[in-house]
Amino acid sequence: MEGMSRSGRHALIWAWTIAVLVFLYIPGLCIFLASLTASRYFQFPIQRWGLDWWRKTFDSIEVHQLFKTSISIALAVMVIAVVIAFFGALAFARYNWKGRSIYQKLVLLPIFFPQSVLGLALLLWFNAIGLELSWKTAVFAHLVWIIPVVTLVISIQVYSFDPALEEAAFDLGATRWQVLREVTLPVLLPGIVSGSLFAFLLSWGNFPLSLFTTGADTTIPEYLYAKMVAGYTPGVPVLGTVSTLGAALLLLGGYWLIAMRRRQKNSREGS
Amino acid sequence: MSQRPAILVLKNLTKSFGKFNAVDGVDLDIADGEFFTIVGPSGSGKTTMIRMLAGMEPATSGDIILRGERINDVPANRRPTCMVFQSLALFPHRTVGENIEFPLKIRGVPPAARKEKALALLRQLRLPESYYGKSVLKCSGGERQRVALARALAFDPEILFFDEPLSAIDYKLRKTLEKELKDIHRETGKTFIYITHSLEEAMVMSDRIGVMRAGKLVQVGTPNEIYSAPRDKFVSEFMGDVNVIPVSLAGGKLISASFDRSFTPPGLPDGFASGHLVIRPEYMRFLDSPDDAENSLSGRLYNEYALGSRIQYQIRAGDHVFIVEKLRQQAPALDLDQSVLIGWDAKDSVLVRD
Repeated sequence: MEGMSRSGRHALIWAWTIAVLVFLYIPGLCIFLASLTASRYFQFPIQRWGLDWWRKTFDSIEVHQLFKTSISIALAVMVIAVVIAFFGALAFARYNWKGRSIYQKLVLLPIFFPQSVLGLALLLWFNAIGLELSWKTAVFAHLVWIIPVVTLVISIQVYSFDPALEEAAFDLGATRWQVLREVTLPVLLPGIVSGSLFAFLLSWGNFPLSLFTTGADTTIPEYLYAKMVAGYTPGVPVLGTVSTLGAALLLLGGYWLIAMRRRQKNSREGS
Repeated sequence: MSQRPAILVLKNLTKSFGKFNAVDGVDLDIADGEFFTIVGPSGSGKTTMIRMLAGMEPATSGDIILRGERINDVPANRRPTCMVFQSLALFPHRTVGENIEFPLKIRGVPPAARKEKALALLRQLRLPESYYGKSVLKCSGGERQRVALARALAFDPEILFFDEPLSAIDYKLRKTLEKELKDIHRETGKTFIYITHSLEEAMVMSDRIGVMRAGKLVQVGTPNEIYSAPRDKFVSEFMGDVNVIPVSLAGGKLISASFDRSFTPPGLPDGFASGHLVIRPEYMRFLDSPDDAENSLSGRLYNEYALGSRIQYQIRAGDHVFIVEKLRQQAPALDLDQSVLIGWDAKDSVLVRD
């Protein structure tokens, strides 16, 4: 430390930070670059640039179907996971009850299962009870893994929730339902929003669970994998880029929503 | 106070957690419009008690009777009572105005009437009307107290409960708010039931005080009664610094074993055998000669403390440390370890049982 000047240390911190960022984001950038080729094959450096594959991908009916499947699964997972995880989080962090500590461990356990094993187990189970595999069974499979994550995300918000708020509302004449609508839900809303984002994005990008459980339907990650194994076209990086941008857009949307809410609150104070 | 009809009657009220009685057979009448404070150390059951009265905790046995009607089984949202919580429990996602209007909104009062009421309450609680649209998160500690009280008053309850709402407030502001609360009590004429661990706080505000210990009310009385005629050692010591000498009755005399002498008692209660002689520090005097007071002791000054308007002296006599307090203008200048003679008249002492 003695030998290094202040500005020298500063430069080192910057260099390190940039190195980490490059390491994290170069792969994504490469995918984007790979999509901009005019050639049929995966080749770096790119010989001829072009947007042909973007057009072709967007025109493809197969790709439309992929989006439809992935979005259907992710939306269904989001809605179901948030409703279940919301009440799960209340049991997790809000109420003291006899089996709580065991419940807390059991509910989080699926997060640590290897997903491919979980997918296989679910496949066997769906077969055993005679369910036909489709995007709907994939929703169920995703839920098994995603509900614990969303429960945890919402629980963090619930832990900072003062139970006296509910008691006060009840004491001021509200019914149980009014307490939930007027106090519990709005106060926990930031946790619910981030829980929803987690649910959607984890489902959107999931590969191992989908692989075993979608049956004849195909999600975007499954398609990307299949195309990489056999039949690569630059449509793969196009789809990869679009899929990533979609996720980023959703995150920005969530951030924007929170920022708007905050601004709304501030402007109300001005009045 | 006693002429007024009772608004709330508790009969043998008990709350058990397993074999432990948090509240143990409490009987109490609270008069309409009274400011009643329950004081006790933490774990004495006062919070459990007030939660039962507000309907947030079911009673194990006994009766809670409001204006002649047993309300044990009426849930909190149907009771005409309202509580100001220790954490205040202001809704963080709402403005000051929305917080105050909450009970009115629940009742379906139209927005214009709600706002009118909220602004009137802001004025009553000496908050600017411009606070109506302010976020509660941006209010100071004292302002939040007032908003919480305004919200409770908007409910227009028959009884207001307070669960130590001032405990997290700094000393100076607390003293101001105590007086304000007493003023609000006077203005509204409502029944206030307040709990605190500070007997000093209770003294400032209350018409009557109930001292609680281990789930039982050990003494109920006016602040003056609690202060000057504590029923036992626990109550007498709860008020802060006090001189306590263990004594027993032998041959018609009040004997202190530790001083190996007798003291003149303030009058012996029937059947008294042993207990404590209690003398408030402000009743202790410095004497020139042992004949200047009915009881006297010699000791040495161990230390002295300036307590604002008063000076407190610690005097060591035998194994005991006595506390003497004098108003600053009347405080003698003493040197450390100086020999002093202290004493008190029998009428200024209280004899309590164990």
